[in-house]
Amino acid sequence: MTLLSIALGTLFYLLQAVSGESGYAENDFDDAELDDYSFSCYSQLEVDGLQHLLTCMFDDSDINSTNLEFEICGALLDVDCLNFNKLQERYFLKTKKFLLIGDSKICVKLEKKNMTCRKVNIVKIVKPEAPFDVRVVYREGANDFVVTFNTSHLQKKYVKVLIHEVAYRQEKNENNWMRVNLTSTKLTLLQRKLQPNAMYEIKVRSIPYANYFEGFWSEWSPSFHFRTPETNGTGETDPVLLTISILSFFSVALMVTLACVLWKKRIKPIIWPSLPDHKKTLEQLCKKPKKNLNVSFNPESFLDCQIHKVDGIQAKDEAEGFLQDPLPPQPEESDKQRFRAGMQGPSWPSEQAGITPKIFRGESPFRCLAGNASVCDAPGLLSSRSPNGREGGKSRPLVYQDLLLGPGTTNSSLPPPFPFQPGILTLNPVAQGQPILTSLGSSQEEAYVTMSSFYQNQ
Amino acid sequence: MFHVSFRYIFGIPPLILVLLPVASSDCDISGKDGGAYQNVLMVNIDDLDNMINFDSNCLNNEPNFFKKHSCDDNKEASFLNRASRKLRQFLKMNISDDFKLHLSTVSQGTLTLLNCTSKGKGRKPPSLSEAQPTKNLEENKSSKEQKKQNDLCFLKILLQKIKTCWNKILRGIKEH
Repeated sequence: MTLLSIALGTLFYLLQAVSGESGYAENDFDDAELDDYSFSCYSQLEVDGLQHLLTCMFDDSDINSTNLEFEICGALLDVDCLNFNKLQERYFLKTKKFLLIGDSKICVKLEKKNMTCRKVNIVKIVKPEAPFDVRVVYREGANDFVVTFNTSHLQKKYVKVLIHEVAYRQEKNENNWMRVNLTSTKLTLLQRKLQPNAMYEIKVRSIPYANYFEGFWSEWSPSFHFRTPETNGTGETDPVLLTISILSFFSVALMVTLACVLWKKRIKPIIWPSLPDHKKTLEQLCKKPKKNLNVSFNPESFLDCQIHKVDGIQAKDEAEGFLQDPLPPQPEESDKQRFRAGMQGPSWPSEQAGITPKIFRGESPFRCLAGNASVCDAPGLLSSRSPNGREGGKSRPLVYQDLLLGPGTTNSSLPPPFPFQPGILTLNPVAQGQPILTSLGSSQEEAYVTMSSFYQNQ
Repeated sequence: MFHVSFRYIFGIPPLILVLLPVASSDCDISGKDGGAYQNVLMVNIDDLDNMINFDSNCLNNEPNFFKKHSCDDNKEASFLNRASRKLRQFLKMNISDDFKLHLSTVSQGTLTLLNCTSKGKGRKPPSLSEAQPTKNLEENKSSKEQKKQNDLCFLKILLQKIKTCWNKILRGIKEH
């Protein structure tokens, strides 16, 4: 009885020791043999409907795998373990019974003896299927290339979100791959970033997006080759655009030329009108003096003239007497001319039909002969014979401070006195001077001088 | 001395072995980020829902199972444990292999995630009949198709409860 109890107790404890957690088998084989049977695996989910594929292979390709088998245990549905199938040097398992939750253990067995084991999680060694149907389409209007491809994972339930890597290179640059990562199946490449008239190669691969499923890069898709256009769009310039650009160029050139040619005469006076120079204006209005004209105020130059001193009051009386005499009518043109000659500034007293002479008593040393006013034509004086006689009817800026009109004026037009030289009297024959008086009288009505009239006379 | 050795050999160790499962019946929910549920369990639950919708025309009576077991606070793991075991009962039905595959995935996946140490060997697994006591009155006159219909209805409700309870667990984990 004692022996029986001892035997049962010993057996009981041995059963406990055996049934307890013994750890991984690989811990028992922690020796040099572990390295000989090192292997790597990857999984592919839903390769055929609901079936998954697990593939394992030895890292050492020279290993003799004749009697070696692979087994997976744990994280399986309704079974404890499954055995791999061998195909050449690869071991694969195609099944629906992956739980996809939790860890599994893959062991290398030699004649049902575990040589090496490794803990793996099926969802962490996922290798997606390679993309396919890579296409490149050139869009002429947008000057870019649209790259599209397809992947079987778009229809899967588990591994749906992937990161795709598109790699392209110019065929003559063997190792200069350009890479682009994206999550969609469409990519746009700009034409300006590619070499013109060059042959390109492009391919795509995928990897699970690191959320729950992780793993490795898929195999590369079949390469697609395409050629970029010869030029970057210069050879295919729109003819309408070209025509417009040429016309615009010539228009601008013509405008610049005209601007340069007409600048001084036409454009500048409008844009930047110059201020009238009184001296020059007067010079222009009056006749230019002859070169041999003696314009000196030296009394000796007036020796030929008879100089008579004029009594101021007497001169005034005489002027008034002239003005009171009725004047015969004259043609309109001459009226206008004389009217222009008789225009006065606003400072003139309006009651005067004529002009009140302003004589400095005793200061004007000389005066011209009456009736011979033409001798005393002063340079630069305003004349009805000025070049702008046609225009002077409106606003001929004639300013007279002194004008003594009387009989004996010649038939010629009235030579006006120099505006700012009081004391110089010019006489005009009355017979012909009647229209002058008339013009003088009527000139008061429209008598005003503006600077603009100076400008116009230029 | 014989009595002492006999007691220690055959008395205490079995007692320890029996008492340990009762003392430690906690479930430790692994995969707390919800990745396993969202990427595996929910996929299979949705597939089962789609497969059941083709056949079902369910009544609105709530089975007694849910009156006894519910996803109350601090009892979520216990409810999922029982619900997952209940799913196994449906494997005996005359259903397609893919349907069974999804059921097994949901059931075993849930139990794996719960990682409950209580094995419950002494408990009799609940049968389908307990869930629908009203069926006792209908069994006399119902055909096999009607029975199957009822089972599918119960399964549909069970799956919805499992899904709701999982969402509650994950929502609670995110809030913490």
